[in-house]
Amino acid sequence: MFEQLKEILAGKLQVPADLITMEATPEAIELDSLAVVELSLVLDKELGIKISDDTLAEAGTVGDIVRLMEERGATL
Amino acid sequence: MPGADAVVTGIGLVSPAGIGTEANWETVCAAKPAAALDPELDGVPVRLSCRVPGFDAAALLGARRAHRLDRCVQFALVAVREALADADLDPADWDGTRVGVVLGCGLGGPATAEREHQVLREEGAQWVSPLLLAMHPVGMLAGQVAIECGARGPNLVVSTACTSGTAAIGMARDLLALGRCDIVLTGGAEAPVTPLTVAGFAQMGALSRRHDDPAGASRPFDADRDGFVAGEGAGLLVLERPEHARARGARVRARVVGYGGSADAHHITAPHPEGRGIEAAVRAALADAGASPDEVAHVNAHGTSTPLNDAAEAAVVRRVLPGGPLVTSTKGVTGHLIGAAGAVEAAYTVLAVERGLVPPTANLDRPDPGLDLDLATAPTPRRIGLALSHSIGFGGQNAVLAVAPA
Repeated sequence: MFEQLKEILAGKLQVPADLITMEATPEAIELDSLAVVELSLVLDKELGIKISDDTLAEAGTVGDIVRLMEERGATL
Repeated sequence: MPGADAVVTGIGLVSPAGIGTEANWETVCAAKPAAALDPELDGVPVRLSCRVPGFDAAALLGARRAHRLDRCVQFALVAVREALADADLDPADWDGTRVGVVLGCGLGGPATAEREHQVLREEGAQWVSPLLLAMHPVGMLAGQVAIECGARGPNLVVSTACTSGTAAIGMARDLLALGRCDIVLTGGAEAPVTPLTVAGFAQMGALSRRHDDPAGASRPFDADRDGFVAGEGAGLLVLERPEHARARGARVRARVVGYGGSADAHHITAPHPEGRGIEAAVRAALADAGASPDEVAHVNAHGTSTPLNDAAEAAVVRRVLPGGPLVTSTKGVTGHLIGAAGAVEAAYTVLAVERGLVPPTANLDRPDPGLDLDLATAPTPRRIGLALSHSIGFGGQNAVLAVAPA
């Protein structure tokens, strides 16, 4: 899931790939409120994983987002 | 309030004539037309455009930043960085509350709107980008420039079609004269080369259809002109109160000494046949500058290369400016940048005044004999005590800036 998220962050949101680590915070990858909404949409569109922007906004690290993706992805 | 000058201390240019002020000046003085066939306009009745050569937003602004900006704003940010460096201003040092942004833009971000509209129609509303309304509206332009450099003063976009950039500079000068700001970042930006926008202009009959000779398509004041070529880019000026510029020891490139605006109140796209509105704007700019018509040595004309505009504008120059100013239209090189046109041309006017050199009108092979203007066909040295930059817009709007040497 990390690789899929990294591909989306780098390929769709144009986050520099070298900044994307499991420990990276939303601030470190410039994931502001608007980008969180965009990420929510792209995760749904590309992977069919539905995570609301409110839930994504609570993630403290990229790793937290990966865990959310694994939870939601597993229930598909 | 005559005599309330504003001084130009910095210039930034991103246009079909190049990226950077010196690249622009070289191309414009070489009369090298930018117009070319545009593969993105396949299927549109007119496939000609003037693009910014080699513009790589990701390389210039960073991919992450560029991704969230319409092309129009991308041009403006590159231009404002150059203008600030040219003015020797570091936003880390200034009082941002005293720095305004007043920019002209006619269309906002049509490329963003057209892309997302296609998503809406083909994929459904749930996939429309949440960035759409942070990118498409015309007002985002000034907001993004403010974010870029911490300009926290008055923040405005002037949207009056093809006069937007000129009117913005006029309004910026007023803010300085009223003491509302010490510095205003002003000018304009536009990215109108999209299938829908170009189709719209083509359907109006405003565009050149010289597909067999793209480089010759934009030919202001030429007898064989048949319409304009849509161009893209941004022109930024750092405008300051003279006292502020003096106190920080800034180099002054030229002064904006007058502004005049008017409306034809006649027809939504056709200019008044006798140029009543543009005449009023010229006279207002001269009165504002406290200058007489015979002092005008150079005019950077609106000169779009449409049959109607060039004839009406030429009639006004002949009638109102008895000094026989040397006239040029740099649109022969750049095409028509719509809301950014007046901003880019104001910058060229500043450079002409500063350097004592009038750039030529490209493609002027056979000057329209009915126009009877003194037109520059080569870069022409001329001591310029006062120059005018004209803009005339759909909507019947007119705007004129008066520029004098430092």
